[in-house]
This record gives sequence, structure tokens and C-alpha cells, in this order.
Amino acid sequence: MSGTVKIIENKKIPSGATLVFGFPDVGLVGVIAASHLVDELKLDEVAYVDSTLLPPLVVLHEGLPHSSIRIFGNDDLLLVISEVPVPVDVIYPVMDALIGWGRSKNIKMMIALGGIPIQDRQDAKELKVFAAASSPEALKIPEDKQIEILTEGYLVGAQAIMLQRAANNGIPAITLLAQCFYNYPDPEAAAEVLKELGRITGVKVNFAKLLEKGEEIRLRARDVMKRTQEEMSKMKKPQELDIPIYVS
Amino acid sequence: MAIRRRRSIWEIVDEYFSDVERWADRLENIYAERPSWNLRDCSIEPLREITVTPTEVMVTVDLPFTSKANVKVKPVGTSSLEITAKMSKVVKLEELGVTHCKGEFQKYHSHLHIPVPVYTKRMTVNYKKGLLEVHLPRKH
Repeated sequence: MSGTVKIIENKKIPSGATLVFGFPDVGLVGVIAASHLVDELKLDEVAYVDSTLLPPLVVLHEGLPHSSIRIFGNDDLLLVISEVPVPVDVIYPVMDALIGWGRSKNIKMMIALGGIPIQDRQDAKELKVFAAASSPEALKIPEDKQIEILTEGYLVGAQAIMLQRAANNGIPAITLLAQCFYNYPDPEAAAEVLKELGRITGVKVNFAKLLEKGEEIRLRARDVMKRTQEEMSKMKKPQELDIPIYVS
Repeated sequence: MAIRRRRSIWEIVDEYFSDVERWADRLENIYAERPSWNLRDCSIEPLREITVTPTEVMVTVDLPFTSKANVKVKPVGTSSLEITAKMSKVVKLEELGVTHCKGEFQKYHSHLHIPVPVYTKRMTVNYKKGLLEVHLPRKH
């Protein structure tokens, strides 16, 4: 496939920040959490992705065009958020470009926010958050916070690429996955993943608004969820639920 | 005259499931490529999921801003369900970020095809936190 992925900067990018990913995936956990962070921390758009590999689509905000994949930030945090699902055939080049850009900004850590679907989610009294990491040292970070580790299994999607590339390049990276619905937007799961993000990074946000607006988020996010289901199916997302074969 | 090989039961079963999958794919495409709202009857289409297990078909539907009392599930014939739910508030299109036309909604409407034979009379319905769950025992 020909084409490039460029990161265009709007503002000065801080050095040594934490790079956080919130992409549409199961339960839209990552994108709901990231969107709440942008609102609560009043983060500014600092950069965006421009690529001929992406579908011919812009997101209109107040009549003006924006890239569907944007980076928001402050001095400590760079947050990549995609408002539409990233097509499976371009997810590698997009993630590689973002990670390469992050390395050029000396990011100290990468964190992917997402979900892990459970059966009978509606009956769950509390939602657990699981973590996986790019190295034994990085894994110690969630372990020290008593976050349960996803010890075996498969990861599919942006967080899988992030962990793999981070492991190859020696960047500490963690993926945080809250138990959630597979096919329905899940703001409660997004709140859980943000709690753990806060414990790891020190970024504190108020979840009350997120939970109060839960029904509204579920209603508004229907169409993005539907599109995300199509991409998840193409990338064989349900493989995350497979029973793994153990190879030591 | 060519002799036609008799198909095994497994081939027939495989073909049946392939047909079901093709149907499901076709429906899925139709479902995905049209607006999820209908201004004529002021309804909005909810997200839904159909799971077929060896014993039952389970349908779940996400219905934010509803209460159990306002949800109606009606079998249509032997292989379809019609689900309607009145919302607790009127939602304007512009509140959902659609500004090129005016309109408002106060109900969900979904018409679902059940992909395998079921006993609609033995249907059971649960509702929790805006999520509807319909169980239909399978006919074998």
C-alpha cells in the first residue's frame, strides 16, 4: 500500500510527556475515556494525523474541518484520540507514525486505554481493570498499584501494536483494559479505566460528569459503535476471547 | 446420465449455516449503510445484538433513556421481533450533532430477523439499566 502518515503539529510539543491512546474499540472505552480527559483537563489540540491512507473523511467542528485522529495535550500528557474507527489495513502505519513521532518527542511512557468484554456485563456489580505491559519493568508499574495483570491471552488492535513496538524499541508501555460490553458504548468502564490511569500517572479527573452523562453518551455513540463493530470484525477482534495455546 | 452423489447430513448442515451467515452479513450491511434514525416516525434505531446458542436465541438491545414499563417486545410471525421503547425525554437531532435537518425523537424502533426457528410464545424478557434482553428457546 502506498501513501504516508504525517503528524502535523499545531503547537509546541512538550518533551518527556506520557503518550496516551484512546481509539474506538470494544465498548468504545478508550475513546469515551480520552474524550472525557480532553473535556475535564481542557486539553488543547496540539497535532493531528494527515494521511492519504485514511478514508476521505474530515470531522466538522463548528463548521471547520478536522482530522479524525487528533492529538491533544498539556505539559505532561499527549492524548491521541480517533473519532472514527481506524481501518484495519492502515492501523499499522498509523500506529508506527504516532509511536515514531512520540519517540522524537522523548515520551517517557505510552498507555493505551481500552476494554475487555465480559459476558453478562449488565449483571456485573463492579468492573475490574486489567493491565499488560511492554517489559517486566513496565509491568511492575501496574503490579505495584495492585492492578490485575492480564497474564495470558491475545490482544488485537492498536494496543497490541503499541505494546509490540514499545517492546522492540525499549519504551515503557502499559495497556489498561476495563471489563465492558463488547458491542455497546460503556461509559462506566471508561470511568474505571480512567481511575487506574490516574493512579499510574497522577492525572486526576472527576468521573461524576462521565457517569451522569452515561445515557447521553450511549445514545450519541451508537453510530460510531456500529462502525467500530465492522472494523473489529475485520481485524478478528473476537480472537481476544480465544483460549490461548501455551507456548513457553 | 450423470449420477448425483447423495449429500451427507453434515454437508446439508454446513450449507444451512453458510446460508444463515450470508443472510446475516447481508442484513448487517443493510443495517450499517442507512441512517439509524427515521424522521417520518420520529424513531431512532438502537444498537442490538443477536446470539444463537444451541438452546436459545438471545437478543440484547441498548435502550438508554428508557424504563422497563415503556419497552414493548412483540413477535411478528415466527421469525421476527419488533421492539419499541418510548424514551423518557425528547431528543432533538441537533443535540446529537446533526444540524443539516431538523427533527426530534422520542422512541426507539427495531425490527429484527431471528435467524433460526424459535418458540416465540415461550419468549422471556429482562431489562436492566437500559439494556433489554430477550430469550427465545430454539426449535429443534
